[in-house]
Amino acid sequence: MKNRIEEIRNERGIRQDELAKLMGVSRQTISSLENGRYNPSILLAHKIAKFFGMTIEDVFIFEDLQED
Amino acid sequence: MYYNNKKLALSFLWIILGAVLMGLSVAEVLTSSYYSGMGGALLAVGILQVIRNLRYRNDKEYQEKIDVEYGDERNRYLRMMSWAWTGYLVVLIEAAGVVVALVMGQHTIQIILAYSVCLIVGIYWIVHMILKRKY
Repeated sequence: MKNRIEEIRNERGIRQDELAKLMGVSRQTISSLENGRYNPSILLAHKIAKFFGMTIEDVFIFEDLQED
Repeated sequence: MYYNNKKLALSFLWIILGAVLMGLSVAEVLTSSYYSGMGGALLAVGILQVIRNLRYRNDKEYQEKIDVEYGDERNRYLRMMSWAWTGYLVVLIEAAGVVVALVMGQHTIQIILAYSVCLIVGIYWIVHMILKRKY
């Protein structure tokens, strides 16, 4: 699943570690999310979207792909 | 909150158990060095956990670091996946070990490994059934 976290975060001038602290996760989690290596739980996705004042669909791009 | 009173009590239990095992070894009630080694390990783990627990209570920065480390969903996912892969690989390695032991004529080892595989698979199915009911 792709997402726009890095793009939106950069637009708002927020660092990875700042976002991580606000979301209650590690900086590595934010990094992995941005790189598309890790898909967040629905709770974290909701939390991130809410923090940016957007909907989950605005931040996360759902693709109909089979995961491994 | 990762470290709580329950974890502190458990740490004290390890310390007591470790001290008892070491004491019995020193008093030569338990003769095998296995027990003194085990007692020492339990004692060390208990003391380390108590130190961590106390630091967690008094150091806000450390508390935050630990809470993120253990509460972080990616870390939880990684821990879960690591255990899953460990279990899977152990079964495969032991199954291969059964064949090797059979070829080498090591029947005792073969039986132990075969039962171990059966035990792991049995535990897997029990856990799977419990989780299926829960979720």
